[in-house]
Amino acid sequence: MELGWKKGAAAPQGQNPRQIPIKGPKPSKKKMKRKKKKRDTEELKKEVVMDDHKLTLEELSTKYSVNLTTGHSHQRAKEILIRDGPNTLTPPPTTPEWVKFCKQLFGGFSLLLWTGAILCFVAYGIQIYFNEEPAKDNLYLSIVLTVVVVITGCFSYYQEAKSSKIMESFKNMVPQQALVIREGEKMQINVQDVVLGDLVEIKGGDRIPADLRLISARGCKVDNSSLTGESEPQSRSTDFTHENPLETRNICFFSTNCVEGTARGIVIATGDSTVMGRIASLTSGLEVGQTPIAAEIEHFIRLITVVAVFLGVTFFVLSLLLGYGWLEAIIFLIGIIVANVPEGLLATVTVCLTLTAKRMAKKNCLVKNLEAVETLGSTSIICSDKTGTLTQNRMIVAHMWFDETVYEVDTSEEQTGKTFANNSDTWFILAQIAGLCNRADFKPNQETLPIAKRATTGDASESALLKFIEQSYSSVAEMRKKNPKVAEIPFNSTNKYQMSIHFREDGSQTHVLMMKGAPERILEFCSTFLLHGQEYSMDNELKEDFQNAYLELGGLGERVLGFCFLNLPSSFSKGFPFNTDEMNFPMDNLCFVGLISMIDPPRTTVPDAVNKCRSAGIKVIMVTGDHPITAEAIAKRVGIISENTETAEEVAARLRIPVSKVNPRDAKAIVVHGSQLKDLHSEQLDQILRNHTEIVFARTSPQQKLIIVEGCQRLGAIVAVTGDGVNDSPALKKADIGIAMGISGSDVSKQAADMILLDDNFASIVTGVEEGRLIFDNLKKSIMYTLTSNIPEITPFLVFIILGVPLPLGTITILCIDLGTDMVPAISLAYESAESDIMKRRPRNPKMDKLVNRRLISMAYGQIGMIQAVAGFFTYFVIMAENGFRPIDLLGIRLYWEDKFLNDLEDSYGQQWTYEQRKVVEFTCQTAFFVTIVLVQWADLIVSKTRRNSVFQQGMRNKILIFGILEETFLAAFLSYTPGMDVALRMYPLKISWWFCALPYSILIFVYDEIRKLLIRQRPGGWVERETYY
Amino acid sequence: MRRQLRSRRTPSFPYSYRYRLDDQDELNQNYLADEEEEAEEEARVMVVPKSEEEEEEKEKEEEEEEKKEEEEGQGQPTGNTWWQKLQIMSEYLWDPERRMFLARTGLILLIYFFFYASLAAVITLCMYTLFLTISPYIPTFTERVKPPGVMIRPFAHSLNFNFNVSEPDTWQHYVISLNGFLQGYNDSLQEEMNVDCPPGQYFIQDGDEDEDKKACQFKRSFLKNCSGLEDPTFGYSTGQPCILLKMNRIVGFRPELGDPVKVSCKVQRGDENDIRSIRYYPESASFDLRYYPYYGKLTHVNYTSPLVAMHFTDVVKNQAVPVQCQLKGKGIINDVINDRFVGRVIFTLNIET
Repeated sequence: MELGWKKGAAAPQGQNPRQIPIKGPKPSKKKMKRKKKKRDTEELKKEVVMDDHKLTLEELSTKYSVNLTTGHSHQRAKEILIRDGPNTLTPPPTTPEWVKFCKQLFGGFSLLLWTGAILCFVAYGIQIYFNEEPAKDNLYLSIVLTVVVVITGCFSYYQEAKSSKIMESFKNMVPQQALVIREGEKMQINVQDVVLGDLVEIKGGDRIPADLRLISARGCKVDNSSLTGESEPQSRSTDFTHENPLETRNICFFSTNCVEGTARGIVIATGDSTVMGRIASLTSGLEVGQTPIAAEIEHFIRLITVVAVFLGVTFFVLSLLLGYGWLEAIIFLIGIIVANVPEGLLATVTVCLTLTAKRMAKKNCLVKNLEAVETLGSTSIICSDKTGTLTQNRMIVAHMWFDETVYEVDTSEEQTGKTFANNSDTWFILAQIAGLCNRADFKPNQETLPIAKRATTGDASESALLKFIEQSYSSVAEMRKKNPKVAEIPFNSTNKYQMSIHFREDGSQTHVLMMKGAPERILEFCSTFLLHGQEYSMDNELKEDFQNAYLELGGLGERVLGFCFLNLPSSFSKGFPFNTDEMNFPMDNLCFVGLISMIDPPRTTVPDAVNKCRSAGIKVIMVTGDHPITAEAIAKRVGIISENTETAEEVAARLRIPVSKVNPRDAKAIVVHGSQLKDLHSEQLDQILRNHTEIVFARTSPQQKLIIVEGCQRLGAIVAVTGDGVNDSPALKKADIGIAMGISGSDVSKQAADMILLDDNFASIVTGVEEGRLIFDNLKKSIMYTLTSNIPEITPFLVFIILGVPLPLGTITILCIDLGTDMVPAISLAYESAESDIMKRRPRNPKMDKLVNRRLISMAYGQIGMIQAVAGFFTYFVIMAENGFRPIDLLGIRLYWEDKFLNDLEDSYGQQWTYEQRKVVEFTCQTAFFVTIVLVQWADLIVSKTRRNSVFQQGMRNKILIFGILEETFLAAFLSYTPGMDVALRMYPLKISWWFCALPYSILIFVYDEIRKLLIRQRPGGWVERETYY
Repeated sequence: MRRQLRSRRTPSFPYSYRYRLDDQDELNQNYLADEEEEAEEEARVMVVPKSEEEEEEKEKEEEEEEKKEEEEGQGQPTGNTWWQKLQIMSEYLWDPERRMFLARTGLILLIYFFFYASLAAVITLCMYTLFLTISPYIPTFTERVKPPGVMIRPFAHSLNFNFNVSEPDTWQHYVISLNGFLQGYNDSLQEEMNVDCPPGQYFIQDGDEDEDKKACQFKRSFLKNCSGLEDPTFGYSTGQPCILLKMNRIVGFRPELGDPVKVSCKVQRGDENDIRSIRYYPESASFDLRYYPYYGKLTHVNYTSPLVAMHFTDVVKNQAVPVQCQLKGKGIINDVINDRFVGRVIFTLNIET
């Protein structure tokens, strides 16, 4: 296992899905990785082969050199502990904190900002080298960029660190102690101190501290659900019953639960080498691709870079043509490229995602990885586990058959009051048998809880019966008091029935024999049957009815039990010594009463949720370890297989043709068995996934779950996987978004997942999808808003270069916009409500529907941004003109304007200006340009609220947005009017009239965009939509 | 990749545009799919049978991919990401498949043409309104240009006057500069163009804004020894340099309370006695009130800025002497910290012998 662990560590990439893999890696590398993955899978399969279950006790004793009664000596145990290490699941190899931090600091978007910072620094260096007293703008810009990246990096690092801390707290919720025998003494030790060969004693309620080979057992049952997905407790004994160690009775697995009974076993594996540990290692060895949002951001960066470089190079050439020196031209080039970097966007995106993550956490979706917030929104296939996710993970009575009628029982989660009421005598008798011939009982001290919530002892079916009778008939405890049990034959798998004899204390003072068990076995005992309280002798008609009912209920995937009884003759008086071994009582010619069937019912919210997923274009596939019939039944009940679709088998039955002749296109639904899946090629699997809309995979192993996920991903789908068991964790890890269960989920699955459903409820996924889609839309709007102001920020510099006017907008003011006024409004768009029912849309196509597409850039840069720029220049020219510099005289003034020794520069009126005086005017203009951008950004914000609807349809209910508008305006006023700002930021107070220069343009933006949206709405698919809908 | 594909079919497909949309804007379409059945239907269409078209496309796609891979294989054996990025970029700029610049159709160019044309109309309208509100004669605001700045002549992009008396080359350019500057002050010119208005009072010319205004004479000869008339070297040849000082023009500026603005120079830092004597021309060392107010260059065409000449007749030689010349008068500010040219000017004299 040492090896396996190392392999896991060798692929740390898998740990961080955020990391953007290098595009087009060398083919040889790819192959190697694939090979390695294969080896990992092989390894897991191979390692399950163990022989401890086949060994005799003596062989075991020698193998582990341990005395089977006294256990290890303390000394020996200590030695082994030192040799093998503690008995804990090593958490998936965690990247060191500083590496994580660096990834936050240098990944994706940050890289763009770093590049900007370095370029600025280079530009500053050039300026210093050739100019003694350069403007410090580039230096400031480079420092600010660095600070922004570092702060956002710290923030997202903090966010994710917090999520993983939540994980740790989950882990700590289960204190684990083990009872071991060492030197003949029983002692309680910490689980991590358990070593190979230790004798361990377990009892009901314990968590098994290591992989155990049982050496003695009494009524021991274990719940392997976290490992195999089977919710039913399985009995454990010392017998070797199956070649497969996973199926044999004499092995208990690490971290599964002992439900009842006691057992003693010898530890055959600890920590990472346990079956559980191996799956965990396989999981951590898996590589995970890029999250969709990371891909989107990469695409966005590419677009921005293209635009920036294009602009930069164009103006580089232009400025050379205009006669600027090389050096100046290069500085311009850098300046333009850097000006294109939206400094505040990284922070905005991070905050938006964080806000959504918080909102989702409130709705019981805890997101571990920030980027996973959006992934659920892009999901096109959900592979859902059955037990515990779709179902309630408890047995409950679903149907009854008596008096030749099938009765349905309320199986919803909130059972209150009676779930079943009937006045038939048969029902009373049936209820009595179910209550009396039943070994389950309520645990004490929970009278205040509703019956459905009470904890019980005994297996799931008996508990289900107990609760059902308690709820629908009468108190079982009272019933048992009145009819004390005098003899009993417990259920076992050979006789397949359970019998008990009770004494009727209150009534006839006679005994009654009651029996329940497998229906066909029960029927064999019976010669009469009960109909409306009357006994009739058995006839073929009833047998046929019985068969039909049995098949019907069985076909629903339910577990069916038969019930019968016999009133013993009065010769068996009170105190008769019944002997179940000698059978000194009659046990034939019983009276058949009816059938009760039980099921692990689907959660009430699931069918609706599945339906919503369906209408949202998400394919829901069930992947379960359970039997195909149960799986299919549940699939039908929750709508994974919808009412009017048929499987090939059903089509065959309807048309009376063999299954092989069914046209595969007629059968939209399919149930695939794990053993079938094993023999399929990946092409065949693809075929299945592509051709069937409704798919159920039953009896699947962890590897197969992984294969299914990979198959879906091959088809280009974005796959979400839900699961709770360790067996699900490889699939969880491989999925684009793994969703673990917060309550029933195992540690490993939670570690492997990107998201945790705190209430284990499938319906929460729908909320997640909705939030994910909403944030995608809102991020689009946010980016639209933020990018728009880039144009009024860049154009001043371009005009400065080309027309030689004084710089209309400086670096400091640009930063004030990007990192000051634009931030809150951009973030407020994350609170925007959806424009239409986003759950009626298909999931976005990750190849076509990009977060930032050309249309968005065209709208932001080419249209709205241009209007904003014009607004800014208008304000600029107004102020310049009012102060004496008419626009025409500004052209080409740059060289004189910037000359520090020229202190009598003439304006259009013949007035003469000192350098500082005109600089004050210039900075006043810059302040005004800044204020203008803020004002036109009002309109942009309102316009960005919607992409299709009118603002009048959408309303202005987003309070944060209104706050954002107020905040940015207030901030702008603050920056302009606060005394001292002229020294600190070179911002000057403005005359009130200058604030109004922007208003016509704000109105223009609003009207223009409303008209555009009107056209989009009125002519769907028209050229307006094609060219401008982003 | 996909875009290319579609475009390849363009010639044979008259509705290729529409077709492309189907794929690119799935979202938009689905937006409209209110009925869930519709959505389901679509899902099926997408998943189940591959229509011939799609298969065709698949093939093409594969072809394309192969081609691309080949290209890459030849050009850049390792599949360089930069190479790919460059390709994408060049595709963005020039789409060879559709022969389209910036991968745009003519339609969008047309849209943009009209858009920018309208925008130009709007800005023109705005600018027009702006000019309606702005007088061509008097600036709307003058507070930024007040208080007046000060400038000296000769001016050669430096405020350090370094010259060696015995080497004319070191001061010749000052003389040329001064001579050039004073051409406009020639007595003949002034007499011809301007009026000789009474000294000691404002030369106020009432009347409409757009009426031409007369200007007062400021003759070169007012500067006496510094006029360059008697000493064509302005004293540089004798180590007694003349420096002319002028106050920046401001429309409507009047020295307050009828008190002319005076000029006074002294050593800025160091020994007061480094400058033993300065002579000012005109002797009052002030700017006469008759030169104010200024009515702006459109109507006050021949306005001649008054000057004060400082004749540094006895300055310590062979040593840099920092000189500060300040304006003095009511309403004059001469101690703004971050603007060293408002109401004062600082320069150094370093006269070598």
